[in-house]
Amino acid sequence: MLEVKKVKKIYQMGKVKVEALRGVSFYIDKGEFVAIMGPSGSGKSTLMHIIGCLDQPTEGNFIIGGKDVSKLNDDRLAEIRNKRIGFVFQQFNLLSRTSILHNVEIPLIYAGVKAKQRRELAKQALESVGLADRVKHKPNEISGGEKQRAAIARALVNKPLIILADEPTGNLDTKTGEEIIKIFYKLHRQGNTIIMVTHEAEIAR
Amino acid sequence: MGSNVINILPGTSKGWGGSISASSVDVFTLELADYIEKVSPSVKRVVPISQGSSLLIKGNFNIQATIIGTNADYQEVNNYNLALGQFINESDLDTSRNIIVLGSELAEELFGNNNPLGEKIKLFYQRRDYLFTVIGVMEEKGKGLTGDLNNQAYIPITTFMKKLSNSRFVSYYMAQAKSGKEAAAAVGEIEYFLIKYLEDEEQEKFNLFSQDQILDTISSVTASLSLMLGGIAAISLLVGGIGIMNIMLVSVTERTREIGIRKALGAKNKNIMSQFLIEALSLSGMGGLIGIFFGWLGAYAIAQAGKWPLVVSPISVLLAFGFAVIIGLFFGLYPAMKAAKMDPVDALRYE
Repeated sequence: MLEVKKVKKIYQMGKVKVEALRGVSFYIDKGEFVAIMGPSGSGKSTLMHIIGCLDQPTEGNFIIGGKDVSKLNDDRLAEIRNKRIGFVFQQFNLLSRTSILHNVEIPLIYAGVKAKQRRELAKQALESVGLADRVKHKPNEISGGEKQRAAIARALVNKPLIILADEPTGNLDTKTGEEIIKIFYKLHRQGNTIIMVTHEAEIAR
Repeated sequence: MGSNVINILPGTSKGWGGSISASSVDVFTLELADYIEKVSPSVKRVVPISQGSSLLIKGNFNIQATIIGTNADYQEVNNYNLALGQFINESDLDTSRNIIVLGSELAEELFGNNNPLGEKIKLFYQRRDYLFTVIGVMEEKGKGLTGDLNNQAYIPITTFMKKLSNSRFVSYYMAQAKSGKEAAAAVGEIEYFLIKYLEDEEQEKFNLFSQDQILDTISSVTASLSLMLGGIAAISLLVGGIGIMNIMLVSVTERTREIGIRKALGAKNKNIMSQFLIEALSLSGMGGLIGIFFGWLGAYAIAQAGKWPLVVSPISVLLAFGFAVIIGLFFGLYPAMKAAKMDPVDALRYE
């Protein structure tokens, strides 16, 4: 379902060429829970960006849902990000000026879903992560754990093929981190494919 | 004055050393007025006018006034009605009677609320006194281009010429064309006749002023004024536009991370572009609305202060608003494009 084929990523830093990825290949099946680990500077982020269709490989192919995205233009990539990938960031990355509900609605807006249906779907997603009573709040009015749950709801709302989580517990204390991980386990049991970058070996196991 | 009125003024004779002497050429007689009237088919009538400044005295009170010597037709040519009494008639002219019709302001200054009809007032003109009987008061009129009509008094032209000025010549003529459409033809006829009659190819002995010409002059002045104001407005728009661009660029930079998040969630370049364009447009559109409101308020205040009618043309309002929006679009385009072209990875990393 998701295939990385001999992917190379080379950055041109002035006159120096930096090889962030040197021909990575792997395959992830539907319903897998995969952890990507490694020291900083090992190219985790670069790999995540390519899997997340935020960036394209210099060489090699990346296939998601049977579609090779390595040569697509900006607009096609935006569509793939919108419909097939759900992002969960370390920094939560919620828009601080709008309500939690609106934050969760954003992917639906870009998918062209009508306002009424949008609200319904966003509410359902928030309920599934236990935030039904926080829909009207702004991001700065809720706790870090709640923010990350809202971000997960946002990643889920368009029913993506994969959920891509980049150190989702990195900005949380141990206890809330555990709660967030439990949500990911639950999502995995429901049949979601999850790729997570993490430092914690325990989660990876 | 209607648009069919043509003023025929004597030319000023040229003085020595390139200066222009103020004394007019003496050619305009009462007979010439009748003659012009007869030979010009488009001219309805020609009214002779003698004009001078004089002091009106009643008891211990005196007031400076413009004395107009004219005939019975003056009233109709100028479309000027009486408030009280009557105007100069033919028999007044034939017998050169000492009668006077006062402008509304003069009547009020001299008589207050009392009835001025039949009262005698003294007219002090060039160091001599004359006794006149008031037979009428004109209605109040707005200020014309030729000065305050309410501060004028009217006497028979024969009285003026025989007793006051002691001259065969009048100050000027007022000719009335048969209709507004015939005004141009009337000007041509009068011009042709006077050139022949006065043997004045250079047109030095007379000047014609039609209302149309005066209006033309005024509109050319207002046109150049509009041009200047338009120039100032254009500079303001340019400065305002650069202001909008600046604000939008700051906004785009400040919200780099937001742009990154939106792109990660599936926003296409055009989505980001339209978001920032709409922001610039609403900024300039709001500015336009506020500008229209204050512009109208300012116009209202000035109209109140100057007692002018308030005219705000819908076209100018639309034009102003349209320009504000276009400026917003034009100067919002670059920042919006800059936002749309951001790389999602870089934008997400931005602190």
